[in-house]
Amino acid sequence: MSNNKLFGLIFCLMFSAGVAHADEAQLRRGAHVAVEVCNTCHSLKYVKYSDFLKLGFSKAEVDAMRGTKGMADPLISQMAPADELAMFSTVPPDLSLMAKARDGGANYIYAMITGFYTDAKGQTANHVFPGIKMPDVFMIAQADAAGRQSIEQKARDVSAFLEWASDPQADERRALGRYVIGYFVLLTVLLYFLKKKIWKRLD
Amino acid sequence: MNKLIAWVDRRFPLTPFIKHELTDYPTPRNLSYWWGFGFLAGFVLVIQIVTGIFLAMHYKPDSNLAFDSVQHIMREVNYGWLIRYLHSTGASAFFAVIYTHMARTLYYGSYRRPRELLWWTGQGLLLLMMATAFMGYLLPWGQMSYWGATVITNLFKATPVYGEQIVTWLRGGFAVDDPTLTRFFSLHYLFPFLIFAAVVIHLVALHTVRSSNPSGINLADKDNIPFHPYFTIKDLFGLGIFMIVYLLIVFFKPDLFIDAANNIPANPMQTPADIVPEWYFLPFYAILRSVPDLAGGVVAMAISVLIFAAMPYLDRSRVTGGARYRPIYRAMFYIFVIDIFVLGYVGAHPPAGTLKMVGEVCTAIYFLTFLLLPFVSRWEERFVLARGLPPAVEAMARKEIAEAEGNV
Repeated sequence: MSNNKLFGLIFCLMFSAGVAHADEAQLRRGAHVAVEVCNTCHSLKYVKYSDFLKLGFSKAEVDAMRGTKGMADPLISQMAPADELAMFSTVPPDLSLMAKARDGGANYIYAMITGFYTDAKGQTANHVFPGIKMPDVFMIAQADAAGRQSIEQKARDVSAFLEWASDPQADERRALGRYVIGYFVLLTVLLYFLKKKIWKRLD
Repeated sequence: MNKLIAWVDRRFPLTPFIKHELTDYPTPRNLSYWWGFGFLAGFVLVIQIVTGIFLAMHYKPDSNLAFDSVQHIMREVNYGWLIRYLHSTGASAFFAVIYTHMARTLYYGSYRRPRELLWWTGQGLLLLMMATAFMGYLLPWGQMSYWGATVITNLFKATPVYGEQIVTWLRGGFAVDDPTLTRFFSLHYLFPFLIFAAVVIHLVALHTVRSSNPSGINLADKDNIPFHPYFTIKDLFGLGIFMIVYLLIVFFKPDLFIDAANNIPANPMQTPADIVPEWYFLPFYAILRSVPDLAGGVVAMAISVLIFAAMPYLDRSRVTGGARYRPIYRAMFYIFVIDIFVLGYVGAHPPAGTLKMVGEVCTAIYFLTFLLLPFVSRWEERFVLARGLPPAVEAMARKEIAEAEGNV
């Protein structure tokens, strides 16, 4: 268990009612980045096009995103794995669970995407993932200040989207959780008074 | 209704059973909330069995399908995410509750005569639980599942002569693979029912010797109260507190006990940077790694779990009430608890430099606690008797000593 998780637990114990909702507009922007950029090489095999409807996309918008693919199809990478292997000497990993598969989650993904720089030998390298085989797709290593800002925004959006993709029920879970915890707090308070009442018979 | 009960009672001792085990069952009135953890453990067992049965309806024990089927449960099965998080968090909750239950037994000396069999059935339950948890952890077929199972089955190589054969036999092949997954699934479904049966035996033993109590003296009849309603309501209140903590994790921090690497499908070609077992195995894992030799490490780890069974004989003090009237035993208890936490920390990190040394020192403290106990407990007994005890406790201790000497 990492410290992150421990602090997260303490935080949630203290402020369990105030857990932030994912921003749907940001998730939709991130979905576009995922479909148009990431999905070229990476699959998101546990995400279906129809799942986008849950993010507030209209059916027409999803139709435009999926092209010839079916509504119930998963987001399989547009390159064949064999071609990817020849090109990058590795098959890019599936991204559906990436936000859960790295310590740091969405923050890790953001830091990795924006972590590209040009090293002393003039080669593109990455602060977070040395030896990464993924190219600097947004070309942040060469970007000027304004370009950097726009890339950082895209990275934030797609990181948020991938966090949603790794755990699409998170909002439903927290919403239900508030009622469940509320119910048990009430029940436990009642049980406490009932216990006091029953034990009074012994006085 | 009364006629129906009378009909049953003529054929089956329903009312006498409820009277004897529940409504009339005499329970010490001074039991604190620390005595509620056995009930909690039973409750978590039921949660695990029920959620497990529903998971098994949707899970596929096949190395090509297992990982996907877990995501199918998480994303497509109605409330599948809830069932799975209840189960995965329940495993940790089970160990947290059981370790607390054991700590209470150790602190108050509840393992002492005449409760040895009660303690040993508990020890058996712990072993069954560990095996069940270990096999269950393979089922999601993630990287940590796969490599954890590889590392632990590999330990059986330490068996003299037949080491290799036993490892192959356990795995159903030369490496952890589909046959390992299918047999672990089968046994993971079987063992909870063995645990359930062992719980019944544990309860029969408990109802024979009755609960120990924090005062350490045998209470007069007037100090015993019926289990129901006094302890049913006390346990239910404790259950409410437990459920709040447990469900906060399930609903708001469900990945707390799931290692990030287990969200990557098992890959036999790629070892994760750091193979870490679940938190409840970490202290034992640290002991395993603190012994440089494989066979020595495995033996040390096995003894570290089994040695608790020897407590009724290692603790030779006749002063009752556990740590309450025994300052040295109390100090040893707290040092031991801290030692286990430090071992847990060491087990979670790569063994290097200072940490490796800390692990070795803590392993030594772990075993020294048990080895010194027979001598310390006798010396402490003389010390506290000379210093003076509450009359009832002293009388019990002197009676036990006299009985023991009479027997010699």
